[in-house]
Amino acid sequence: MLDGSASPIDQRQSRLLIVAAVFLFLYSAILTLSPAVRERTWNVSYHWSHWIGFAIWAALFFLADRFTRKQLPNRDPFLLPLSALLSGWGMLTIWRLDSAFGIRQTIWLTISAIILIAISYLPSDLSILRRYKYILLTSGLLLTALTILLGTNPEGFGAHRWLGCCSVYIQPSEPLKLLLVIYLSAYLSDRLTIRLRFFPLLLPTLFVIGLAILLLLAQRDLGTASVFILIYTVILYLATGKRRVLLATVVILALAGLIGYFFIDVVRERIFAWLNPWADPSGHSYQIVQSLLAIANGGMIGRGPGLGSPTLVPVAQSDFIFTAIAEETGLLGTTALIIVISLILARGLRAAFRAPDQFRRILAAGLCAYLGIQTLLIIGGNLRLLPLTGVTLPFVSYGGSSLLTTFVALGLLLIISNQAENKPAVLTTPRPYYFVIGLLGFSVVTTLIANSWWAVLRGPDLLSRTDNPRLAISDRYVPRGNILDRNNEPIDMTEGQSGTYHRVYLYPNLSPITGYTHPTYGQAGLEASLDNYLRGLQGNPESLIWWDHLLYGTPPPGLDVRLSLDLELQKQADQLLGNNKGAAILMNAQTGEILVMASQPTYDPNQLDEIGASLAQDPNTPLINRAVQGTYPPGSAVAPFLNIFNLASGINDKQKINLFDSLGFYTSPQIRMPVAGAAQRGEINQLRVSPLQMSIAAGTLSNHGFRIAPRIVLAVSTPQQGWIILPALDQSTEAFNAAIADHLADQLAIQNQPFWEWTSSGNYRTDSSSWYLGGTLPNWKGTPLVAVILLEGNSPASAEGIGTQLLKSAVTP
Amino acid sequence: MSGFIVLALRLLMAAAVYIFLGWALWTIWLDLRQEAQGALAHRFPAIRLEVRTRNRILASRTFSKSEIILGRNPECDISINDESTSAQHARLSYHHNQWWVEDLSSTNGTKLNKEKLTVPTVLTSDDEIQCGKTKVIVSMNGDVSSSPTQRL
Repeated sequence: MLDGSASPIDQRQSRLLIVAAVFLFLYSAILTLSPAVRERTWNVSYHWSHWIGFAIWAALFFLADRFTRKQLPNRDPFLLPLSALLSGWGMLTIWRLDSAFGIRQTIWLTISAIILIAISYLPSDLSILRRYKYILLTSGLLLTALTILLGTNPEGFGAHRWLGCCSVYIQPSEPLKLLLVIYLSAYLSDRLTIRLRFFPLLLPTLFVIGLAILLLLAQRDLGTASVFILIYTVILYLATGKRRVLLATVVILALAGLIGYFFIDVVRERIFAWLNPWADPSGHSYQIVQSLLAIANGGMIGRGPGLGSPTLVPVAQSDFIFTAIAEETGLLGTTALIIVISLILARGLRAAFRAPDQFRRILAAGLCAYLGIQTLLIIGGNLRLLPLTGVTLPFVSYGGSSLLTTFVALGLLLIISNQAENKPAVLTTPRPYYFVIGLLGFSVVTTLIANSWWAVLRGPDLLSRTDNPRLAISDRYVPRGNILDRNNEPIDMTEGQSGTYHRVYLYPNLSPITGYTHPTYGQAGLEASLDNYLRGLQGNPESLIWWDHLLYGTPPPGLDVRLSLDLELQKQADQLLGNNKGAAILMNAQTGEILVMASQPTYDPNQLDEIGASLAQDPNTPLINRAVQGTYPPGSAVAPFLNIFNLASGINDKQKINLFDSLGFYTSPQIRMPVAGAAQRGEINQLRVSPLQMSIAAGTLSNHGFRIAPRIVLAVSTPQQGWIILPALDQSTEAFNAAIADHLADQLAIQNQPFWEWTSSGNYRTDSSSWYLGGTLPNWKGTPLVAVILLEGNSPASAEGIGTQLLKSAVTP
Repeated sequence: MSGFIVLALRLLMAAAVYIFLGWALWTIWLDLRQEAQGALAHRFPAIRLEVRTRNRILASRTFSKSEIILGRNPECDISINDESTSAQHARLSYHHNQWWVEDLSSTNGTKLNKEKLTVPTVLTSDDEIQCGKTKVIVSMNGDVSSSPTQRL
C-alpha cells in the first residue's frame, strides 16, 4: 500500500487504513480466544468464522484504497479510513452477536464497497444527480409506497417495511433519506439565487417531505419520520439561514410528540419508558434498562470482544449495537467510536465549506446532517438521553439498506471533497453553519458525559440490580460455593464444569431453610442471604475480586459455607415431622448453634424449572421457612415462664411485658437469614412469635437463665486463611437469674429422662397451633440442648411425641 | 492464563484505536497549521497607488494589505488633502482573486477611468480612480507580497 511515489493524501489514507486493520485484527483475535477466557481452560472450541468477515473487509478496503487513489486524487484522506474502521467494527460486532447476521452483513459490505468504487467514477460536479432529482426522488417515494402494498418483514413478523424476495430485502426508507437530501440540495441551490418569497420557495419541498412523512406514518415508522423532519430542517436552515425554520420545527416536533403521546400507544410507551424506566424494568422499559445494564457492565475498558453478554439486549445487532460495543469495549471504546463519527462529520462539513458550488455545499452538509442526526438519535436513545427511536447507527448497525445508503453518502462526500484547487463558492450566511457545528459539538459532549455516567459512575449500582441477568450467566462459568453441614457433609453443591455449572440440592427437605438459586426465579433462603460468600464477592481478597472482574467479568470462585446443622439429626427431625405442617428447631442452648431446623411442607428445588412458577401460588406456602418466618400465637406455651411469679397474687400486664421482653419476644433474632419481624413491645393478647424466638426463650431454662444468640452459619472457607468463624450477630443476655431458671426447668422434668418438657395447645382465636418446648436439665453433663416443635392445627399430642423423640435421639450419643 | 493474554490483547486493541484517532487528529492539526501558514502567505498581486493632482505626483505607495481606504481623513491609508474629497471616499479591496474598488457614498462621487462608479468594480493595472479632483493611478506589476486575508 505504501510506495515512495504516493502523494501525502494517499499515504495518510493507507497508513490510517493499516492502523484500522490492526485494530480489527486484534478484535478478531480476542474474539477467537474468548471462549478460553470464559471457561478458564484452553480446551474449548474457539470462534473462527468471523475471520471470513475480517479477510473480506481487508480485501474490500484495499481495493477501495486503490480505486480512490486513482479516481479521486485530491479527496479527503480521512473519510475512507474512518468509515472503514466503523464498518469493520460494526461488522465484527455483528459476527460476535450472531454469525448468521455476520455473514449477511459481510455480503452487504461487499456490495456497498463495490458501489462506493462505482460512485467514484461519477463526474465530479455531480450534475447528473442535480438533473434527475425528480426522477430519483419519485422512484424513492414509489418504492416506499410499494411497501404498504407488498411490504414484508425478513423475520416473518413485525412491521412490513421491506421489499424483496428470495432472502434479499431492501428497506426503501433508507435510500429515501439520501434521495431527499439530494433533491433538497438540488432544488434549493437552483432556486435560492432567484429571489422568490419564502413560502412559494418552500412549497414544493413541503409537499415532498409531507408525502414522505405520510408514507412513513402509514408504516408506523416514527423513528425514520423524525429523522426526515430533522434532516429537512437542518438543510433548510443551512441553505436559507432563516432561524424561524428551527423554531417551526421545534414547535412541530413538540406538537407531534404530544399528539403521539395521547393518541399512539407506541409513542406513549416509548416516552414513558424514557422518562421512568425503573417503573417497569421487565415490561416496556426492558430494552432501555437492559441497555443501561450492558453499558454498566462494560465499565471503563469493557469486558472484551466475546466476553460480555450483549445478546441479552433485544435487537442488539441493529438498534442496540452501540450498547453491545459499550459492553465489550467499554467507555474507552465508545468514546473512540463517538470521536470517529464526529471526525467523519467534521471532514464532511469541511468538504461542504470547500465545495465549489452551492449544490455540492448543501449536498455535503445535508449528508452530514443525515449521518449526524441518525447517530445522535440512536446513541442518545441507547443512553437514555432521548426516547428510543428504532433507527440504525450509520456504518455500524446491521442492515443492508442502511449500510448501502451510508456508503453512497460516503462516496458522494469523497467526490465533493476531491477539489484540486481551493476555490470555494461564496458563503453569504455562515452563521447557520456555525450554529449547526456548535449544536453538533454540544450533542457529542453531552453523549460522552451520559456515557461516562452510566458506564462508570452509576455502573456498580446498576450491576447489583437483581434483574441483571449477568449474575446468573456467570454462575454457569464460575463455581458457586457449597453449603455444608457441621460435619462437612454437603447440603447444596455446584456440579458440572465451566459453562455447565448448576446447583444440586442433595437434601431437598431443607429447601425452606437453605432455599435455592435459579436464573429465572432468583434466590431464596440461605442461598440468598449467604449469596455474597457463595458467589465469592465476600471473604475473598479485594484484589482477587478486582482482577477476576477485570480478566473474566465474573466474581472469583465462590466460598464454601459451613452451617451448624447436623444432617443426621436433621433427617430424624424431618422424618418425625412427617406430613405435619409446622416447624422444628433443635438448638445448642449454650452456644446458640442450631442443630436442626425443619419446616414442613417443603419442595424440591432440583425441580424448580418445572414447579417454579406455581410455587409462589401454592396455598401450603412451602417457600416460607416456618421456623423463622412463621409467627404463631404462643398460647399456653408461655405458662412455664409465668411460674417465676407468684401466680396466686396474679400477674399484671406490666410484669408480663417485662417477662416477654426478657424472653426476646419483642426482638427479631439476628441470624444470617431473613426472619419474621417481631411483635411491637407491649403486645400481649395479639402476640405472635416465631419458633426460633420460642427456642431462644426455652433455651433460658436449659442455660441457667441466659438468653443465647442463635447461629446457623458457623464458618466460611477462605482461600488464604482457611475456615473463618462467622460469629453470632447478637449478644447473649441474662433473662433471669440462674437459680430461678434452674428451678423452673426442674419443675418440668420428666421421669427417667435428662430433660424437661412442656406441651401446649394455643387455642387462640381462629388460629390454632400446638407448641412443644423441651430441653436438657440444668445438671445435665452433656451438651445442653433445647427443642421446639410447632405444629399448625390442634395436635399437641403429635407435637409432644415428635419433641420427645427428637430430644431422646439428641441426648443419646 | 488465557485471561491475562486476552487482557493484554484488549489493552493493545484499545491502544490501536487511539493510535488511529491520535494519528488522524495529529495530521489534521498539521494540515490546519499548514493551511494557516498558507493563508498568511496567501499570494496576491501587490498594488501600487500614485496620487496625482494636475499631473503632479503627490505620493506613491505600494500596499501589502487586502483593504485600502482612500479619503481626506488623515487616518485613511491614502490621505488626500483635497476639499472635494470626502473623509472616507473609496475602498479598494482584494477578494475573489481580484482587486475591487467601490465608492463609500462620497459627496462628489468616484470615477473609474472617467466613468462614475456605482457598483464595486474590478481593477486592472493603469486604471485611473478619481476622488473629487484628485486622481489615483493603479499599477499592478505582478509582484507578490504577503498579507493576511480572510478566507474560509
